[in-house]
Amino acid sequence: MNNLVYKEFKLSVHTTSYLFLFLPAMLLIPSYPYYVAFFYQTLGIFFTFLNGNTTNDITFTTLLPIRKRDAVKARVITVVAFELLQIIVSIPFAIVRLRLIPLENQAGMEANMALFGLVFVMFGIFNIIFLPGFYKTAYKTGAPFLWACLAMTLFTVAAEAAIHLIPGWGAALDNVGTAGLPAQAGVLLTGVLAFVGLTYLAYTRSVQRFEALDL
Amino acid sequence: MDVLTINHLNKKYEKFQLRDVSFQVGQGRIMGFIGRNGAGKTTTMKSMLNLVHTESGSIHFFGLEMKAHEFEIKQRIACIFGAANYYAQSSLRSIADVYSRFYKTWDEALYRSYLERFELDPGKKIRQLSQGMSIKFALALALSHHAEFLILDEPTSGLDPLSRDELLTVFENIVDQEGASILFSTHITSDLDKNADDITYIKNGEIVASQPKQAFLDAYRMVEGTPDALSSALKQKIIGYHERKGEFSGLLRKCDAGEAHGCSVTPADLETIMVYTERKETHE
Repeated sequence: MNNLVYKEFKLSVHTTSYLFLFLPAMLLIPSYPYYVAFFYQTLGIFFTFLNGNTTNDITFTTLLPIRKRDAVKARVITVVAFELLQIIVSIPFAIVRLRLIPLENQAGMEANMALFGLVFVMFGIFNIIFLPGFYKTAYKTGAPFLWACLAMTLFTVAAEAAIHLIPGWGAALDNVGTAGLPAQAGVLLTGVLAFVGLTYLAYTRSVQRFEALDL
Repeated sequence: MDVLTINHLNKKYEKFQLRDVSFQVGQGRIMGFIGRNGAGKTTTMKSMLNLVHTESGSIHFFGLEMKAHEFEIKQRIACIFGAANYYAQSSLRSIADVYSRFYKTWDEALYRSYLERFELDPGKKIRQLSQGMSIKFALALALSHHAEFLILDEPTSGLDPLSRDELLTVFENIVDQEGASILFSTHITSDLDKNADDITYIKNGEIVASQPKQAFLDAYRMVEGTPDALSSALKQKIIGYHERKGEFSGLLRKCDAGEAHGCSVTPADLETIMVYTERKETHE
């Protein structure tokens, strides 16, 4: 498995995934829908899959002495690695934003723990739609990405609407004070659990579909 | 012992079917796998490697069942489907670095010797290689982990005659010196005239013949002459009968060739056998 993950990083990952790791700096913009800073990484992941068609990545990989399911596993590990990196890189920017920019975010959620929880759910939704969608054919990338984008957009719009419309949620979750911390921690934990669950489901479905394919 | 045994392989697509494909490749043998485009050569090869799911049949490498021992088998074989047309932006060095990690038997010194022999610069990117050079690179990778069995799909297409000859010599060396075996598909049958031991001929998804090359060639005769010399009974037996400007040509089975009095009867080569056998289908 180590060799396959090494192969992913050495040959398969598209450069934009690395470039987009700088985009969490957008958290320093005082008013901005911060989900966008994370969404970009899903675009980078999409480019890696798209590029795989050009580089004949699947052919090269499946001719190696590996099991087909391991090719999927290595790719899912790589996807998760970039999603987590995107979140990790954003933490210092979120701290700087909270400490040094005392302006309220007029365009959406504050850069707090609840936002990270929602981003985890967003990534989980991306994984459960895009990955099995791709492995249904192992070459079609456009439609699965479009559906994943639509689902992520619906989720973030619904989350923002709920936070602003349900009494008490805004005060607890869209806040940078200490009062909302327990509720925000709850959202973060729920987000992480949802991410783990959805990604695991995405992996098993992708394996099933890829195993059934004639290459 | 056979390095590859395929028994009763069946695979159905909407418009194409592999039907009861069976053949064996013996150790230390070079088998040419011939057939026109779309006859089922690549599908058979992909089925052998578990890349395509078959409806029925069994595949054994080195006496081991493929589905149960896929990982072990893939360590001992090498496969090339066309040229190294992957990761165009990556250097040969990067690809070899990744590839070599997957094989316990990777021989770095041997790899370097192939790079030198094929005049490949490891710093170059795949996109900078000609078709011929990229095939050579794919072969350098495949040959450098001491594969016991090489599966090559059209390895010589796109190569100039000198490079083809050079590769055929490499094939001979690995069979003669390393005791490896080779199955290679090609439509350049002259390559097989030079060094194949056995021939497997597939047509419309069915194996027409799988036997030693000499026996395959001996089974046919090329027959030419004027149509007047032919009895109607013999004309019916001619495979791929073709007539032009008062002269005919065609193929006869050896057992029928004795009846071709007054005609020129000569040995047939692989290309003649394939062309005339396929022509029968298209001209009747």
